[in-house]
Amino acid sequence: MNYLSITLPLGVCIAALGSAIGLGMAVTAAMNAVARQPEAAGKIQIIMVIGCAFIEALTIYAVVVVFILQGKM
Amino acid sequence: MQPAVAASSPGVSVEMPRLYQVLGPDLVPHDLMAFLDTWGGNILALGALILIVILMTRAASRSEAVPGRFQNAVEAVVEVLESLFRDILGSSTREFLPFLGTLFLFILFMNLTGLIPLLHSPTSQFEITLSLAIVVFCYVQIVATRKLGLIGYIDHLMSRPRDFVSWLLAPLMLLLHLVAELARPISLALRLFGNITGEEALIAAFTGLGVLALSTTGSPVGVPLGLPFIFLGMLFGLVQAFVFTILSAIYIAQVLPPEGEDHGKDTIQSEGAVR
Repeated sequence: MNYLSITLPLGVCIAALGSAIGLGMAVTAAMNAVARQPEAAGKIQIIMVIGCAFIEALTIYAVVVVFILQGKM
Repeated sequence: MQPAVAASSPGVSVEMPRLYQVLGPDLVPHDLMAFLDTWGGNILALGALILIVILMTRAASRSEAVPGRFQNAVEAVVEVLESLFRDILGSSTREFLPFLGTLFLFILFMNLTGLIPLLHSPTSQFEITLSLAIVVFCYVQIVATRKLGLIGYIDHLMSRPRDFVSWLLAPLMLLLHLVAELARPISLALRLFGNITGEEALIAAFTGLGVLALSTTGSPVGVPLGLPFIFLGMLFGLVQAFVFTILSAIYIAQVLPPEGEDHGKDTIQSEGAVR
């Protein structure tokens, strides 16, 4: 039992918090855009999914670090 | 590898049991078990690939003017994929559709393999996602050299310097582009690996909790707590396969020579330039 057992979940938690805010903003903007211009929905959707993938990747990196450090717990 | 979800183990495991682990050391020789621990993912990936090849060659070899049920389904999949990539690649979609479509189906099949009980996703092994990303990386380099020529590609990496100031900035641009180019396969591989591993760990953890919840009563079955997350896993597998191929398509689109005034293409390309 060392500090890792509390810092690892905490680290993912903070990363997920940031990602959640970012994703919320991205999806809000995409929904507004679709509401204003429904005919561009397909293009907006692709851009949104790509952006979401980049935002989400940051949490994923935190999770990968957790997987790596899990052996030391 | 620890043998996974066992009701007797104190903690909750993060890995579902695999077929050969359930059969146990009595039925499976020790050498074979060690072999499957290392190569099981590759065997499943090969299985997924063979399944795609069989399905697609069957659909292609028996194509008729009036399509049957099976041919209709395959054609619908191909059409959806084509309309998806047309937004990004424009008029050269047909050229890259075979590669990107195969990549999509392969990753999708590998992701969904993990939802079949006693199997696991090959994409939850970093070696497999990294090799997929390296394939995409090499493919992009080859396409770039073939479309732009070697000089043209270096020119592209220096952001096409034409006047004095941009020539001054060219070495910096070259360095930046090279770093970005090398970071892409790593970020592609990490994204797919992390997502699929996380999803599998989630399903395993909740299934383990469900087993743990009833283990004190000695019940042979548990509460199916993992069930809702299997549907989440189906969605994630689809989205991740989608993201991986869309990003590959954008990497390809960035190295294609600019074609006319295609406005929509430009917006998506500049979006992808963020990487």
